[in-house]
Amino acid sequence: MIRKSIVSLSLALAMAVGTAAASAEELLIGAHMPLTGSLARSGQTFTEGMQIAVRQFNERSDKYKFKVEVIDDESTPAKAVSAVEKLVNDGAVAVIGGYGSNIIGPASAASNNLGKVYITAGAVSDELTARGLKTFFRINNNAGYQRGVENLVAELKPSAVSIIASTREAPALLAKGLEQSLAEKGVKVTVHSFDPAITDFKPIINKVKLRDKADMIVMSAYENDYVGIIRAAKVLKPDVKLIVGVWSLATPKMYSEFPDLMNNVVGTSFVPFPVEVNDPEGKRFADLYREVYNKDIEYLATLSFVETTILLEAISRAAEAGTLDKGGLPDEMRKTDRQTLLGRVKFDETGDNPFFSLSMGQHRDGKIVLVSPQANANGSIVYPGLPW
Amino acid sequence: MSSHVPSVSRPSSWPSSIVFVGIALVLAALPLAAGAGNYFLGLLISALILAGISLAWALLGNLGGMVSFGHAAFFGVGSYASALLSAKLGLPVLLSVPLAGVIAVGASLLMIPALRLSGPYFALAILAYSQIFRILATELSWLTGGAAGFQAIPQLPTVLGLDLASRSGSYVLLVVVVALCALVYALVRRSLVGTALRAIADSEDATRVVGVNSMLLKAWMLALSAFITGVFGALNAHIIGFLEPDYAFSGVWSVLPIIAAIFGGYRTTFGPIGGAVIIYLFDQVVAKSIIAVGHQILLGFLLAAMILLAPNGLLGLAERFLKGRRDAEA
Repeated sequence: MIRKSIVSLSLALAMAVGTAAASAEELLIGAHMPLTGSLARSGQTFTEGMQIAVRQFNERSDKYKFKVEVIDDESTPAKAVSAVEKLVNDGAVAVIGGYGSNIIGPASAASNNLGKVYITAGAVSDELTARGLKTFFRINNNAGYQRGVENLVAELKPSAVSIIASTREAPALLAKGLEQSLAEKGVKVTVHSFDPAITDFKPIINKVKLRDKADMIVMSAYENDYVGIIRAAKVLKPDVKLIVGVWSLATPKMYSEFPDLMNNVVGTSFVPFPVEVNDPEGKRFADLYREVYNKDIEYLATLSFVETTILLEAISRAAEAGTLDKGGLPDEMRKTDRQTLLGRVKFDETGDNPFFSLSMGQHRDGKIVLVSPQANANGSIVYPGLPW
Repeated sequence: MSSHVPSVSRPSSWPSSIVFVGIALVLAALPLAAGAGNYFLGLLISALILAGISLAWALLGNLGGMVSFGHAAFFGVGSYASALLSAKLGLPVLLSVPLAGVIAVGASLLMIPALRLSGPYFALAILAYSQIFRILATELSWLTGGAAGFQAIPQLPTVLGLDLASRSGSYVLLVVVVALCALVYALVRRSLVGTALRAIADSEDATRVVGVNSMLLKAWMLALSAFITGVFGALNAHIIGFLEPDYAFSGVWSVLPIIAAIFGGYRTTFGPIGGAVIIYLFDQVVAKSIIAVGHQILLGFLLAAMILLAPNGLLGLAERFLKGRRDAEA
């Protein structure tokens, strides 16, 4: 009798679990990323963060399970637009955007025309949020990167700063903003713009050394440019006290690939290395990311994780309220107000996140120490501190 | 053996051209008749823009023997010209598009000294020339928005109840513009000027000896090619709605049209158009469905096979096939 009861109970439990699993609604989200070409590494890392966010959300959600379809946009606007149209055609309830304002601009406009929410962490142009698209959201912006460097400059008080800036869209925008804001604070600022095709930075470093006599070099550029600039500086040894950069610089990968160039260099960062994440969500993300990809979380993966998590939560809320099919997702996105690995995220009317701000991390013999702002620091800055 | 050597083909007769045009128009109408979705129409629109530039590139190569690696310059100038004319001066988009073609012609005039060069020297000169415009678009940020790009580009308007900004509307517009450009190209080819230009492509010295002003004729072809490319650049700008120097003057606009034209058969009028549509759709629909990331490798194999098996392109291959059948029947 007891045996029979146990079997019946087990069957009932199994059926209940099975019913719950079967009743979970499966929803599709779409994403277009640069998975080939010069931005393939960024697109791949974005995709990894996104996949972990989906997996982590599905682990804790019984009612809604998400699938993600990713299309390679080949860093081409027309192909990104086609990707959005295909994703929506395939049933995606929202779209996660790729990398670069030239791609995000037309792709998000196409998504808006189709009435689908579009979220990105890969475009900082101010024009994107000035268009008044109701379905466009982004978690990072130029102002956040600018604030990170401004905080560092305010704490170190250099008298002169040389900004070496690529003429590409995002670096040029950041350099312009920094030039204005630092000059207003009484810092002597000189901007040296360079064409992305340039690989020999010695003429610019010579100007910094002989003419600017700067205390600090700020690089507003990308990985290959950072390497070229620091290599030229190491040869000519200008009398500066610190070399600072922005995105994709304070990463373990940069140190492992260029250990002779990175020590004491400062760049924007969210978390120190070795990774120290205290909140349960971030800790689970770091653990899962290490388990799946056998490496530590990094900058772009974190951005992608946060944007995807926020989107999935908003979709679930809209589905719960029965407004997902009735255009209610943009309103749910605007109700987002939560702490994340990037700090607070809340969207304003334009879809921008005014709370986006970054810390600055310094390469220190293979580790990355958060050194600014003081409130987020886990160590003191080495200043003066140079790679040579 | 001789069939593998590219040769100057004579323009085909009017009846066969009419049959070709009829087939092309039926093919063009098929997607609309079949109710193709936005995604497929979007792919066709991109393919037709590529087809327009391929046609312009083939025109320059076929009529005058000029090999250009710098059509991105005309494409970018046309893009920015139309975007600025319509957004900043408030001109109607349908007026700013042909004006953009005229401005691209203006830009091509700066290239006239390079017409004295030939072969790889001309190709290198025009390649360098396209870079100048990319840098200008970056540096003139007060006008172009610089590296940050230019987004406030007006959309295509509604004409006679047809919303040209919609996918189906843009598709119809591009089919019409490509057809018009092909017609102009075919008319030039059939004219005496066209005969002289094809002779120049074979031997410029010989045509000069018989009194042909080769420089003038080549300059006209450069201007016509620039106009067509500028118009397609302008249409693309209004369809995409965003411009930045790296995109508008990207080397892709110089290289892909060459590939498409050679694939289709650059010595024919319809070859570049067919080549552009086929390679774009093959890459985005077939190859991408087989290999989602890195699908370009399949396109590479296809192109290599095509060049080895049919150096005169797809239309050359078709002609060879038809000739073989006729010979067999005879």
